[in-house]
Amino acid sequence: MARFFPLTVTDIRPETRDAVAVTLQPRAEDAEAFKFVQGQYLTFRRDFDGEELRRSYSVCAGLDDGILQVGIKRVDGGAFSTWANEQLKVGDVLDAMPPMGRFHAPLDPASERHYLGFAGGSGITPLLSIIKTVLTREPKARFTLVYANRQISSIMFRETIEDLKSTFVQRLSVIHVLESEAQDIDLFTGRVDAQKMDALFEHWIDAGDVDLAFICGPEPMMLTIAQSLRDHGLDHTRIKFELFASGQPGRATKKAVSIDAARAGAQTEATVIIDGSSRSFKMPKEGQSLLDAALASDIDAPFACKAGVCSTCRAKVLEGEAEMAVNHALEDYEVRQGYVLTCQCMPLTDKIVVSYDA
Amino acid sequence: MHDDTPTGDAAGHDGDHMDIADYLAKGGVLTSPANVPPRYRGELLRLMASFVDSQLAGSAGFADTINDAPGIVARISAARITLEKADHAGRVLEIMGEFGADTDRYARHHPWAARLSRDADLGAARAGADMRLSVFHYPLQGWVDAVVMNLLMGQASVVQMSELSRLSYAPLAEVFRSIAPRESRHAELAVAGVRAILTGESGGGTLADVRESLEYWQPRVAMTFGKSGSDRFDRLARLGLRHRTNDELAQDWRDRMTAVLAGLNLT
Repeated sequence: MARFFPLTVTDIRPETRDAVAVTLQPRAEDAEAFKFVQGQYLTFRRDFDGEELRRSYSVCAGLDDGILQVGIKRVDGGAFSTWANEQLKVGDVLDAMPPMGRFHAPLDPASERHYLGFAGGSGITPLLSIIKTVLTREPKARFTLVYANRQISSIMFRETIEDLKSTFVQRLSVIHVLESEAQDIDLFTGRVDAQKMDALFEHWIDAGDVDLAFICGPEPMMLTIAQSLRDHGLDHTRIKFELFASGQPGRATKKAVSIDAARAGAQTEATVIIDGSSRSFKMPKEGQSLLDAALASDIDAPFACKAGVCSTCRAKVLEGEAEMAVNHALEDYEVRQGYVLTCQCMPLTDKIVVSYDA
Repeated sequence: MHDDTPTGDAAGHDGDHMDIADYLAKGGVLTSPANVPPRYRGELLRLMASFVDSQLAGSAGFADTINDAPGIVARISAARITLEKADHAGRVLEIMGEFGADTDRYARHHPWAARLSRDADLGAARAGADMRLSVFHYPLQGWVDAVVMNLLMGQASVVQMSELSRLSYAPLAEVFRSIAPRESRHAELAVAGVRAILTGESGGGTLADVRESLEYWQPRVAMTFGKSGSDRFDRLARLGLRHRTNDELAQDWRDRMTAVLAGLNLT
């Protein structure tokens, strides 16, 4: 189960016009829990107008920086990132889960590996942590970073990266690709597409010399670069991914409640939405779970443990009300948003609509 | 690390995001519970539960055979398989935990050593209250039977690992890639175990016992690859959770078994 701990903000440094690096301090007793591995992220929670939002931001500090620091880029209309960029101040306390994520490779001080990293925009944050760490902990390792941004002014951690280049002159090389700003070399202007990747491999990077690649950015960039890496001989076991997805909603939506006048009927008219189609059936209010009733109606609903433990059968109640016999897998905030474990779910109202797509 | 809105701009490129279904269909990978869509989540958890339940049931079944083992080497092999299958379950369960599953309760929620009768006819259907593959509902009968079952299931696991190591949830694919070499090793231990029985080196049974167990387990292990032409395959393939069809995996397994059995002069 997720556990949150208080972190005190000890520093906020503007990185670009719309991004900040936030340094955080756990309580002494939580220090162990917040020991991170390079490339991991923290998940924060905060209430906005009574709705809890959770957002994850990658640690940008290296293991030897002695601090816990994350990068937060402001997104238009994004409640959490806007608040963090505009209102967060030193001394504030944020709730965060301990570091998570597997965007890293085990460190080996004897390693002479050549790493290749691709970052799109704020995708630099975990890569910065990785670069600092491997160049420090693996004295013979080399790192080539290809960093895509729209323009110079939107480059996060530009100075930090320049400093790192000076410190590790022989071992760190950085290629900035700017989408809408001309540079001396044409290759470094425009989007990172298949042709640009081919050209990079032809003129700047020896693919045969690369041991491990890291990619962090949005979906199209991940696809393009992964494909190109495969075309140039790096199979999937040598590519590490961290997706900065667009899929999550900006604002938790209020639980849609329309409580029928709760008549004491024994039957419920249940509607189940799955894979975009909806199916209705009648089921008893007691003695059978919503999941079992759906399965009995030949609906291919997902489930595994049927014991309220694994959360495979999670769905959202869109209309009506239900109660769960046991719940060991959903957190309070998910329940408040209307999520139920359908294997444990008995309808309370005469009509109920649940969606496995929500 | 994640965007804050549906029209997010994490990379500093407007309109540079794409529909997650498109992304997956094109071979994209997902990397954390936060970027997994609801239906993907359900299928992924189901897949993980099936693996965890099968490994826990397999480990529990093998635990009993430790005392059937005819010698020290055999005991160690059986103990090692028991240990490592439980460890594999634990590694995948940890990822289920990141999605909210209560991992402690999960590991305890079912009597993993429970078996149905030897002549139950389950086909490929799941039975009982957990998600183990049907083959793990049949009881083992002594040392030879356990080793032969492991010979067949070991190769099936090698085939399954090659499939699972490519799936689109990167943290899980990595766990499977770390497990794969050990599953291969279990398959090798089974080959060595059968060879020791056949040469009389280990004792514990005869050629006739081996053939009898092969006959019993072969069709049951074949069922683990699922039905031919399953309609679930298309949906899972679109999500990047499957790549080769049930029939292709089953054929791969048959080819491997042909070679293994030929190597043991059992054809």
